[in-house]
Amino acid sequence: MPSQVFPEIARVDARDKVLGQALYGADINLPGMLYAMLVPATIAKGRVGELDVRRATETAGVVQVLSIGDFPTLRPEISFLGQPIALVVAETIEAAIEGAEAVTAVYEASPFVALMSSPGAHRVPAEGFSTGDVESAFQNAATIVEGTFETPTQHHNPMELFGTVAEWSGGRLTVYEGCQNVDAVKGALAKALNLSPDAVAVKSEHVGGGFGQKSPPKIQTALVAQAARLTRRPVKLVAPRGQVFHIANYRPRSIHNMRLAANAAGRLDAISYDVVQENIPDGGFRSTGYHEDIARLYAIENFRATAADVHIDRQMPRHTRGTHPFPAGFALESLIDEMAHKLGKDPVQFRLDHQAKKDIIAGQPLSPHFLNDCLTEGAKRFGWSKRVPEPGSMRLDDGTLVGFGVACGIFGASMSASEATLRVRANGTTRMISSGHEMGQGMLTAIANVITQGLDINPDRLEIQLGDTTRGPQIATVGERGTASCIPVALKAVHALRAKFEELAGSNPPAGNLHEQLARLKRPYIEVTATELAPGQDPSALKAFRSGGRAGAGPDYPGFTSMSYIAQFVEIHIDPMTRRIRMPRAVSIADIGRVVSPRTAKGQMYGGVVWGFSTALREETEVDPRFAGYLNDDLADYVIAVNADIGNIDVGLIDQPDPRINSVGVKGMGELVMLGTAPAIANAIYHATGKRIRKLPIRIEDVL
Amino acid sequence: MQGLNYTFARSAEEAVAQFAGAGGSARYIAGGTNLYDLMKLGIERPAHLIDVSRIDGMDAIETDGEVLRFGGRALMADVAYAPVVRDEYPLLSQSLLKAASQQLRNMATVGGNLLQRTRCMYFRNGAGSSSMVGVYPCNKREPHSGCSAIGGVDRTQAVLGTSQACTAVAPGDWPVALMAMDATIETLGPQGARALPIAEFYRLPGDTPHSEFNLNPGELVTAITVRKTPAGRRSTYHKVRDRESYAFALASAAVAVEMEGATVRAARIALGGVATTPWRSSAAEAVVTGSTLTRELAIQAGRAAFADARSGKQNAFKIELGARVVADALIIAAERRA
Repeated sequence: MPSQVFPEIARVDARDKVLGQALYGADINLPGMLYAMLVPATIAKGRVGELDVRRATETAGVVQVLSIGDFPTLRPEISFLGQPIALVVAETIEAAIEGAEAVTAVYEASPFVALMSSPGAHRVPAEGFSTGDVESAFQNAATIVEGTFETPTQHHNPMELFGTVAEWSGGRLTVYEGCQNVDAVKGALAKALNLSPDAVAVKSEHVGGGFGQKSPPKIQTALVAQAARLTRRPVKLVAPRGQVFHIANYRPRSIHNMRLAANAAGRLDAISYDVVQENIPDGGFRSTGYHEDIARLYAIENFRATAADVHIDRQMPRHTRGTHPFPAGFALESLIDEMAHKLGKDPVQFRLDHQAKKDIIAGQPLSPHFLNDCLTEGAKRFGWSKRVPEPGSMRLDDGTLVGFGVACGIFGASMSASEATLRVRANGTTRMISSGHEMGQGMLTAIANVITQGLDINPDRLEIQLGDTTRGPQIATVGERGTASCIPVALKAVHALRAKFEELAGSNPPAGNLHEQLARLKRPYIEVTATELAPGQDPSALKAFRSGGRAGAGPDYPGFTSMSYIAQFVEIHIDPMTRRIRMPRAVSIADIGRVVSPRTAKGQMYGGVVWGFSTALREETEVDPRFAGYLNDDLADYVIAVNADIGNIDVGLIDQPDPRINSVGVKGMGELVMLGTAPAIANAIYHATGKRIRKLPIRIEDVL
Repeated sequence: MQGLNYTFARSAEEAVAQFAGAGGSARYIAGGTNLYDLMKLGIERPAHLIDVSRIDGMDAIETDGEVLRFGGRALMADVAYAPVVRDEYPLLSQSLLKAASQQLRNMATVGGNLLQRTRCMYFRNGAGSSSMVGVYPCNKREPHSGCSAIGGVDRTQAVLGTSQACTAVAPGDWPVALMAMDATIETLGPQGARALPIAEFYRLPGDTPHSEFNLNPGELVTAITVRKTPAGRRSTYHKVRDRESYAFALASAAVAVEMEGATVRAARIALGGVATTPWRSSAAEAVVTGSTLTRELAIQAGRAAFADARSGKQNAFKIELGARVVADALIIAAERRA
């Protein structure tokens, strides 16, 4: 069973990244390559009546124009503003842009619903959830708090845009593109282009930030591949950010009505929760998912959730870092604070008093977890005891209002079936073929740490290959399951390799490190392949994994449920005259099971607090309901936190393995780390001002 | 590819001559930090760029003790860090340092900065560029096409100086500080050289929001001068924005005061982020002049600055915020050492 503490090692790809040698999809340049540019529809709904590509075709340098009817995804029916209606392919990027801007369309526009608040928008109920007796809990409640909470449309905005390079060779297609799920892209390409999956390769060895935006296959990828097929030359498309805003997925706006009941003893007894979000029909982001994680956060036995969608005429919203538990947690953690205040209890102690033991969704025990340790450690580091409870009671000498806030976050610890092939060579090198995607989160470093801790090899000559369908099947690196899926199988491979070597070497192994030992045994290399399943997972999951199917499981496994936890503490300052809101410091402590790569895990935590700050106080995608497009569709106007916004961040990890989830005890953290910061900030603003703000982002006008 | 002539001018006179030769389709370019942006957006499509960034002497920062003079192509960074500016006119230095990013300030010029175009999202987003997607009517971009911001997403729009045709905010910080200091703009054009007070440099949108500057075709900003005043040292540029750096003002105030003990002898107050032009407020100045500066009086002055303000759906907060920014700036400036 897991026990080993991992040492901190440097990020293995740091040097390549600093030197600009790590290649991303858009960095690929091939001989004879052409450049493409999409032409976006400028209506939200309707039909393309006429499309005039003559001027585009005549533009100097333009080689090919794909337009309506030339490919299944270039449809005359328009269902969102920015939907591609043509692709212009040219010898240079400048010619491609000029050609794209020369395409003109005549539309037959139809009425559309841009926002949940637009005329014609209506509620489409989804499946609910209920456990316990919520009705009588509220009837018998001594204290009730309730509120309507709203979180905005937000775009992921990773640094890396959508970059695609497609190349054909002998009837085989290779696509270079930053994504979180190469096998799904491979499958989508095979289907769209009517190819055998064996004829498609997708390479995504470095991803410049995913955050959920790069999980599903993209509309433009097959189009670029088709352009390369028609022109018989490699084609590159890098969609400009303004277009990415309109074709990428995004976090849907959502509205949360939540009520919380406490009994006469001051214990939390019931939650009644209704959520409605913007969505498209059959959208990939379920409104039924909001309650699932937060219902497991505290010991509250009675829980009722109802959910609905409002269908809008925009592109599909989908998973965005923090996914459902972010808006749901904003609502719950704000109300918990309000309840604690109403009951005259300290918000940290109030949470400690409600430690959850049971998963009320699956009706089974929770795996041992350490949220209370996160809270206790965080309170200590933050100096929570210095907090004066009364709102508006803490001030600096210059009159600045001071607020302390706390909130927690929870996210399901899921896993995927996975495979790894490890080869150690006598020539001093080691190669690991793993599955997964390196998006900056540190997966390569975590895998390297497992291998170098377990084997006496040259750490500098270890190569880890992933994010490439030609190496082996690749897990969908989503829902913070990447590390939890790739690390146990990596450890299994290390153990298997050691066993194989011991068998080979017998009772008298030669001296030296593993490479030298192999050389002395006259073996050029030894190799093992290991596979791993999630707890209780059927072995057929490996088949699904190998064919790009759904191979994930959890967070509810047979007999137990495993979750990751975080506690966030923030100090907020509000300027007495202008009411400018600042966050001089934050403390963030997480329980992610065993920490496999301390350096990159802490990096994720810093980034998570920054992301949480940004979602709380900065980011909102602006939609004008008369047009249904995104107005602030660049990084100047879509306001993301900058360095000057961020104060001191202190992060900590409990580093206790989850004994039930896998052999290492590792859980995910990529989503978790951004949770809790937004409600902690809202709670701190309440503490500073006495004002509850129940919508995000919180802006200066909300505290004026 | 769309052709483009690019020529260098060695003197202001040569630049003006080149402009005349280009027949109206030319633009002067120095740092290019705004013009290239507008070209990418499809808003500007010049056929000829005349580079004025190498003109001899036009980058000078000099003073005779009475008047500060900045060449039109002096860099924002160089002006901001010039000791005489930093020490004698903190508001000028701060207005530059609170704008853009260091990289942009290293490229952009103080002359070009006067001509920066609005950040109104409807203006920027809708000229048919492949990098932007929407098609939003805008009177400033395309006369008489309509204003989408009125009745639209208007949180960042102006509350002062607006018209039925346009509510776009003047984006600059530096012009606001210059407005407070009664700067003079020197130009050279086909009709020769002239100097005009900055108060006459900007046009209210009225019915013609596309016409923003009182500049004739081919007229080049050659220099900016600021007369020395006792109020220079006791000054500040106060800027509140949606993040702590790299953002345009929601509300800003350039304030300079002459004090006699706790009494304000004279005040200069200009506003940014809230008006369609850099906005001088004589009403706010009148409130504090001759009185003892208190927190209450400062807020009263701020409120006076917005007496004529008109808001839309989401930008009413700018009236209260703007008043407080003026008040805060007055207090900060008055506390400075003369």
